[in-house]
Amino acid sequence: MEEKDLVRSSKEGNEEAFASLVKKYRVKVFNLAFSLTRDRDTADDLAQEVFIKAYFALPRFELRSEFGTWLYRITINHVRDFLRKTSRMKRLSIDEIKESSIPQEDETMKREKEQTEERRKKILRRAIQILPDKHQVILSLRDIQGLSYEEITKILRISPGTVDSRLHRARKLLRKKLAPFLSQKGGNHELQEG
Amino acid sequence: MNCKKVEKLILRAFDGRLTEDEKKELEAHLKQCPQCRTTQEEYQLILDTLRKEDFPEPKPYFLERLQPKLREVKKYEPWMVWKQWGMRAIPVSLLVIIFLSATLILFSPPREEVELSQAFSQSGLLLLQNQNLFQETTTLLETGGTEDKNMMVIFTSIDDKNGTRRDF
Repeated sequence: MEEKDLVRSSKEGNEEAFASLVKKYRVKVFNLAFSLTRDRDTADDLAQEVFIKAYFALPRFELRSEFGTWLYRITINHVRDFLRKTSRMKRLSIDEIKESSIPQEDETMKREKEQTEERRKKILRRAIQILPDKHQVILSLRDIQGLSYEEITKILRISPGTVDSRLHRARKLLRKKLAPFLSQKGGNHELQEG
Repeated sequence: MNCKKVEKLILRAFDGRLTEDEKKELEAHLKQCPQCRTTQEEYQLILDTLRKEDFPEPKPYFLERLQPKLREVKKYEPWMVWKQWGMRAIPVSLLVIIFLSATLILFSPPREEVELSQAFSQSGLLLLQNQNLFQETTTLLETGGTEDKNMMVIFTSIDDKNGTRRDF
């Protein structure tokens, strides 16, 4: 059955059709929630809630856009609400990132490439988490999920020009936050090849 | 071309959004500007790391865990609909009530006048209208002969008993 047929059947209350849609999109929804929350349990809970919301909102979905686009929109709004409610208590400031990430010199020498890579990702994740919401979302959609400009304009309902400028700003901000780790003069070299 | 504009081009190049001319411009600038080359390398490193991001799998039995939740929520669906729309309906209903009340007050018929004409006798109305209560008597007394006066008084008293009034 094609996706549009699955959506139509789901709108009429067919649970099996909706289950097929869940199977198709569960990983995508989970990944998007994970890229914004960085916590597997939270992302899993949020993904479940997104599908519950989508199921009850289906009667109002008019098939004007792709189901996936619509579902991504619900996910982003739901995760944003969650982040607002929790006031980002788990967020760390950039200072904390520095503190927790600066390794002892002799230890650094011993670390292998894999560990360096893992550390680098950790620093990046934390730096992303202290960016404003809209910048986190655009980085997640474009640079982590790899969605096209066209898809992003539909999901966020913004013009291609706005996608361009917002993405540009988000990447610049991220680089600024990571400056201490990227600096080659006197700073530590966490993000440089180890 | 200044380095600020080059940074923009570097970022757009990662998305494959440069024209041929812009690509040439960028390459030429990067060849002679070590600072912009560093900027490009840093962005490359950041974006590579982001794109290599690996995600954990959702927890097992995602669908099996979802289905009972959906059924549970379905049970409360009517309440949810009420919660969503009913709560919004309360202020709207209040506004409608206020509007209707105001309309009734403003456009209701002038009941006071009707009530006054029913509540007061003719003498009372004359008093309210600031008119002379003894108008008839005065007119009678001012007319000519005694016989005429007597006849008019008799007719007037008969008219009063019948509930009619004669104006002179």
